[in-house]
Amino acid sequence: MFKWTWKSLSSQRGTLAGSALGIAFTFILVIFFDAVWRGESVQIVSYPDHVKPDVWVMQSGVGNMHMAMSFVWDWKADQIAKMPGVKRVTPILYMTSVVSAGKHRMFAFIVGLLPDAKRAGPWKLTAGRHIGNPQEAVIPDVFSKITGIGIGDQLRIVDKSFTVVGLSSGTYSSANSVLFVPFADLEEILSSSGTYSYLLVDAKEGTDPNDLAKRIRDQVEKVNALTQKEFVSNDLSMAKQMGVGIIVIMTAICSALAALIVGFTSYSLVIRRRREIAIIKALGIGNDKILISVIVQSGILTFIGFIMAMLFALFVMPAVPLLLPQLTLAVSTPALFQIGLIALVVAVLGALIPAWFVSRLDPATAFHI
Amino acid sequence: MFLLAWRQVLLDPLRTVLTAVALGSVIAVILILVGFEQGQYYQLKQIVLNRKADLIVTQAGVSNFIAVRSSIPQLARAEVEAVKGVINAHPVTAIPVIYNRNNVRTPVYVLVYDTWGGPSSIIQGREITSGKEIVIDASLAKKYGINPGDSFYVTDFEFKVVGITQEAAFMMPFAFINYDGMLDLFIESEIAPDLSTFPLLSYMLVELDPAADRQSVARQIELHVPSVDVITPGQLAQNDVNMGKVFFKPIMGLLVSIGYIIGMLVVGLIMYADIRARIKSFAVLKALGFSFGRLFLVVLIQSSLLLVITIPIGTLLALGVSVFIETMSPAYFIRLFDPVIFLQTLMTFFVFAVIGALIPVRTIQRTDPMLAFQDI
Repeated sequence: MFKWTWKSLSSQRGTLAGSALGIAFTFILVIFFDAVWRGESVQIVSYPDHVKPDVWVMQSGVGNMHMAMSFVWDWKADQIAKMPGVKRVTPILYMTSVVSAGKHRMFAFIVGLLPDAKRAGPWKLTAGRHIGNPQEAVIPDVFSKITGIGIGDQLRIVDKSFTVVGLSSGTYSSANSVLFVPFADLEEILSSSGTYSYLLVDAKEGTDPNDLAKRIRDQVEKVNALTQKEFVSNDLSMAKQMGVGIIVIMTAICSALAALIVGFTSYSLVIRRRREIAIIKALGIGNDKILISVIVQSGILTFIGFIMAMLFALFVMPAVPLLLPQLTLAVSTPALFQIGLIALVVAVLGALIPAWFVSRLDPATAFHI
Repeated sequence: MFLLAWRQVLLDPLRTVLTAVALGSVIAVILILVGFEQGQYYQLKQIVLNRKADLIVTQAGVSNFIAVRSSIPQLARAEVEAVKGVINAHPVTAIPVIYNRNNVRTPVYVLVYDTWGGPSSIIQGREITSGKEIVIDASLAKKYGINPGDSFYVTDFEFKVVGITQEAAFMMPFAFINYDGMLDLFIESEIAPDLSTFPLLSYMLVELDPAADRQSVARQIELHVPSVDVITPGQLAQNDVNMGKVFFKPIMGLLVSIGYIIGMLVVGLIMYADIRARIKSFAVLKALGFSFGRLFLVVLIQSSLLLVITIPIGTLLALGVSVFIETMSPAYFIRLFDPVIFLQTLMTFFVFAVIGALIPVRTIQRTDPMLAFQDI
């Protein structure tokens, strides 16, 4: 029976290739949608993930960075710096805004750095240097690639002009790129003084970050302190949550579409071979075996589509950002496994209509001319 | 030719239904993706236009409404109102906050208003009448199961939800409080160590004398109040839409392209399977003297007929799914029926589908008319 299934499938190479490609692309659509969302979510935490202090200190009631607003008095940084187990406190100012450069605009996390705060600055420069003077900025290299704005060019944040002095790697995201400017300039834009947004606290060797965070929360008035892990996890889960609904729905629609393609192809194949099936039935082969053969047929189709989608996800998708550098794609293993499970369901669902047809097929059809 | 193609479509009803649903689903996927993108732009636009101002005053250098910080000196309000032609400059303050309940965090854009700029589409409850009250977006209410009368904590400050509105943009729900509420929030909660660091006035919604010339008043305000910029609501909305496009266009463009490719493949597959199944019929027609061109035309008409049948199915499917999405996650708005975009999408799909239909045509070209006389 399996041999017959395989033969009937392989004799229709065009149909097999077309439907497998169709199934593959519906899976690719789901994988791509998920990868884009996941990629953007990962990029949203790119800054905290790379600067990696042991503890983040922020205004009480704030627990993350993305879209948040936090202000902490400067004297609290001094107070924390004197606490046992604290190696270093690096304050930053932070705001989200639109950066304009010529006709180009981008949403950005803008990080204001004190002169000696390289520790909180860009972690990898691909060109130029770190900021050192007033009204200088380090921008993401991808933004430079997309717009042509490079070292020596001007950009504006609110009503202040900055000169690009460096290009940083790993800081671009369509939702929120990270830009670095001098602290004093950002302070002026924010009309603030004597306050910081976040404090990056590095612990001395042997100090437990959880314990340090707790001590800071207990001893410093009106601040929140979180370990690096908690802080990043808060931002990441929030970013992911924002897209969960639409990803689930798109996955459902595309899976239904894949099931329809499988159903259509299996049904077409069964219709074409209905006389053969009728003969098999007339020879006394039971419905169950024929039904299994139909399911196997759907399974093979779906499997080929799934494999094509996997190959695309593993080998083609990583190359997409080379053509579209503004896209950050993160293909995750759980998402691929999820597609694998969906493929199984799709194969079974796709077999339902042809199975129904086969079960009703009259063996007498074999003798009709 | 048309009749022949039509009869082919009716030959196997089950197969035609399967085909129509499969093609309809492809159309639905594309329409939903395009509608999702257009919905984002629409929401970005409406959130500004629904503030119902004649002109909008921003901090000098700020030309967006969403996800930016605009902070105007409070004295600027009197200066703006002193300009001839301005009846009132209604204050609005935007505060991004993170709503957190049971460790589920959502960024919320809180709009603080006094006389203008409040919620524009309340679907449940009422507007704010005191500083302790808040109106929240339906997506937030749905996500956390909040109803009018429930408490809503921003940091540690308790608001009472009195209304549910439908206002979200950039996948972010909005909430509305008044200035008493904002001051209470800042003072009573632990949010602000220093009030001066918070933008107390972000935008002004300018109400003009009906006889005043908008452009001229805008110029006068910018001339007399250097700390601000003046933008028409339409332009501010467009700036936000353009920013949204920076984010969505590359992503959605690629996803929609994949959708079109799926459409092309599905149509190609359907037509291929159909042609293979009727290869003998085509051989008979060839033996009867039908030229390849005429047979090609049959395939083209048949695929066009299929598309004409499936476009309404796809549209209905997309409509159903979009209603489902908006019910489940009200922060998303799927804008299916923007006439230009809708037609553009269907036309593009049509082109891709016709290209798909042409893929198997070579099979007909290679069909030997002798096949008609074999195995009878």
